[in-house]
Amino acid sequence: MNRREFLAAGVGLVGAAATAGTLGGAVWPALTREDLLPGEPPDVRLTPHAWQTAGDRLSFAVLGDNGSGGRQALAVAERMAFTYQTAPYGLVALLGDICYYGSLRRRFETVFRRPFGPLLDAGVGFELAIGNHDSGLHFSDDRLSAMEAELELLGTPGRYYTASHGPVDFFFLDSSIPGVYGPRASEQLDWLDDALASSANQWKVVAMHHPPYSSGQHGSTPGAQERLVPLLSRHRVDLVLSGHDHDYERVEPQQGVTYVVSGGGCKTTAVGRSRFTAVSERTLQFLHVEVVDAQLTAKCIRADGSVADRWTLRAREGT
Amino acid sequence: MDATRAGGDLSRRAADAVVAAGFAIAGFAVTIAPAVLMRSEVLNAGIGSLDDDVLAASAAVGAVEMVLAWRRVRNQERTATRRLHVWIASFNALVALALTASLLLLLVLYLFPDEHASLANRGFPVFALWAGVQAVAVVLAEATGWLFFSWLRPEAP
Repeated sequence: MNRREFLAAGVGLVGAAATAGTLGGAVWPALTREDLLPGEPPDVRLTPHAWQTAGDRLSFAVLGDNGSGGRQALAVAERMAFTYQTAPYGLVALLGDICYYGSLRRRFETVFRRPFGPLLDAGVGFELAIGNHDSGLHFSDDRLSAMEAELELLGTPGRYYTASHGPVDFFFLDSSIPGVYGPRASEQLDWLDDALASSANQWKVVAMHHPPYSSGQHGSTPGAQERLVPLLSRHRVDLVLSGHDHDYERVEPQQGVTYVVSGGGCKTTAVGRSRFTAVSERTLQFLHVEVVDAQLTAKCIRADGSVADRWTLRAREGT
Repeated sequence: MDATRAGGDLSRRAADAVVAAGFAIAGFAVTIAPAVLMRSEVLNAGIGSLDDDVLAASAAVGAVEMVLAWRRVRNQERTATRRLHVWIASFNALVALALTASLLLLLVLYLFPDEHASLANRGFPVFALWAGVQAVAVVLAEATGWLFFSWLRPEAP
């Protein structure tokens, strides 16, 4: 082997090793994990305000981790529009991470208006629990200011807030604040304690991005079961909705509270089972929820329209 | 003596053809690899028909790459002073193809998601974007194969 042959062969072998590492360690996992391919927006015309609103009745959808703007996100959004046609709802509770790959301000059209155009045109309202990818991880005051400015795009009143819809009081939390369950958590948890105590509606539903209980890739959020769960139990919260893990999970009631992970809005990751798991599935999905008086009926609907899980709850008594 | 030489030539020609076919098939495999992996992910997510177009685009580009790689290797085998030069150049071309056929896709899709969404709004099919990016990877790989082969020739500067 002469010098050139040796060099050329060396370039090939080193390149092969580097390529194998790059493809297996970064490129292929990113291509398969992320929802990067563009898709067609839903082409559906919906009847505006087709849902029934009353003091004892509410229909709403729940969607988490939908912020890619890719074809999988659009497939779920299209299914939500189709579901509206047969079972109209006037509210979508977003569980955070509504914008990946850039700021919400820059990507608002792609990740929000484009997928949800038919629902927005029908007058459906949106509420948001902030996720860790919304406007990036906000570790500074500047970041918080930027995020609050961006939340105005959705008409969200603050980083954590309450909203009453029919018989349900919703409590939207910002679980993405660093150390939310640590020593610095007192402000939001104190606020939640007061808000739950003053809630007089029949149903209490808490929406937040990071799940207190999960068997998914991220797992149960550290500190949540020690700091948050006792508070939720003490105030007899009915249902806790979260995302973050890109799967669907329903947890056996914990101290009377039902916990659901609904994070399959555009990507999926593996999910297992734990001692607290009732149902778990890796799938693209959203939840459709109907509350009539003291009964709540929920369906986890996959992107292809099939039902992954169906369950009912009775409202807990007391405040 | 003549019969032995004729037999040796025959087995050498057969070996050359096998090598060329091997590189051509490997080129096809690394070209369709990202689409196959994405499709398996989509199947896991329960929407099996979503990536048919991308798989078809990769298969088409991969088929073109098979033909180009076969012709390049066979051409080089006819003119090479040493078979080793063909093998090194072809291996380097395959490495370049494996890297760029996936990495270019990731970069183009990840860095310009809103532009692609805007194109999709105007009816631009995603398989054209996918095939176009992989076609660039094929061109780069073929150029790599020829550059290394030329550089290894004894008369190269």
